[in-house]
Amino acid sequence: MINLHNVSKNFSQYQAIKSISLSIKKGEIHGIIGASGAGKSTLLRLMNLLEIPDDGEVEVNGQKLTSLSTKELRQARKSIGMIFQHFNLVANKTVYDNVVVSLELAKFPKKVRRSRVMECLRFVGLESFIEKYPAQLSGGQKQRVAIARALANNPQVLLCDEPTSSLDPNTTAEILDVLENISRSFGVTIIIVSHEMEVIKSICNRVTVMADGEIYDTILIEPKRIQNIDNSPKYFVEQLTKDGVLDDA
Amino acid sequence: MPEILVQYEAEIWISIGETFTMVGVAILAAILLGLPVGTLLFLCRKGQILENRFVFSILNLFVNVIRSFPFLLLVVFLIPFTRLIIGTAIGTAAATVPLSIIAIAHYSRLVEQSLLDVPKGVLEAAVSMGASVKEVILKFLYVEARSGLILGLTTSIISFISYSTIMGVVGGGGIGDFAIRYGYQQFKTDLMIYMIIIMVILVQLIQFIGTTVSRISDKR
Repeated sequence: MINLHNVSKNFSQYQAIKSISLSIKKGEIHGIIGASGAGKSTLLRLMNLLEIPDDGEVEVNGQKLTSLSTKELRQARKSIGMIFQHFNLVANKTVYDNVVVSLELAKFPKKVRRSRVMECLRFVGLESFIEKYPAQLSGGQKQRVAIARALANNPQVLLCDEPTSSLDPNTTAEILDVLENISRSFGVTIIIVSHEMEVIKSICNRVTVMADGEIYDTILIEPKRIQNIDNSPKYFVEQLTKDGVLDDA
Repeated sequence: MPEILVQYEAEIWISIGETFTMVGVAILAAILLGLPVGTLLFLCRKGQILENRFVFSILNLFVNVIRSFPFLLLVVFLIPFTRLIIGTAIGTAAATVPLSIIAIAHYSRLVEQSLLDVPKGVLEAAVSMGASVKEVILKFLYVEARSGLILGLTTSIISFISYSTIMGVVGGGGIGDFAIRYGYQQFKTDLMIYMIIIMVILVQLIQFIGTTVSRISDKR
């Protein structure tokens, strides 16, 4: 589904990606983990050519993105969805308008746009929020809208750049549920970049570990969901005081 | 109404008409040309989707040079150009030429600044969805920056009114020119003060409308 072949990317003097080859199969939920600056986000952004590689080939859906014209690349991007850490919704558009824009770009038939938007918003549980603006939503809801937007155009691939890194643990679990559901229901290939081990462990079935712009290892794992996240104030106090408290006298 | 205003009513209306003509043409120039120039200034910057050092430098130089002229000098300097376009360098129509030039330079800079406030991630999302340059501009950039674009235009219009007051030097007329010639030079201080009051009301009104529309359009 996704093949990177000897791909390199430099930022001025700095080698962000050093000749990486990676193959991701259809239907996989593939994690990319590594420390800050390891190159994991850059690697993801090479998969839809948001970053143009200095060397090597990028192939997605059987199309060699690196040899497409600008116009063909725009077309190819329409079947590669992407979501971001900071959601990147248009703050001046309603939830509905944020989702429908991806259908407008894809020249989706006008008559069925509305039903498709509603279908996607229902999938993420936000069909009653169509008239709201992003500023009126919580972080988790914003990410759901972004997921609906990425999903609207029936993508083959969904790229997720730190999708839960600005969310609390409960919301993280909800978003991971949605992503897993997408994988199961539509067979979409999902690539998740995260620096959070829990996220990667709970959803991915193959993981690439990156360090210094190179692949350190790629391993198969059995996804294990995070169980019973406790967000109650009682739990917080218990955790904070379990080793005893300082006397404030 | 004060007697002096009644006495000069016809002239006052004519001068108000001249001001509206000059400022109106400047507003059109700002929207039709200043907006695209400002958009290009933004899109040609380093790291933006049309990154182009050459185009950026040329436009940047144009805007800076025009804006560094004392406006009175710009009007005089442009006389040959005005004559080429309008056929004469004197009158209200001729006065619209230097005003339009400054309008383009002035508004384009404010457009560029408003667009810089749009989060980079929003444009990145647009590109990732396969948007063309035109679609990025119309469906994302302008939508997200609209309140800033409106406030910028409001500021620009008020500057155009101010610039238009000196157009008497090329016979452009207008409220400012009327205030100088009848009020100041003929020692009718009360008439001059009435003209200033008209200008203050006009500016207040424009600022109020601009601020209100901008606030309503801002959902961020």
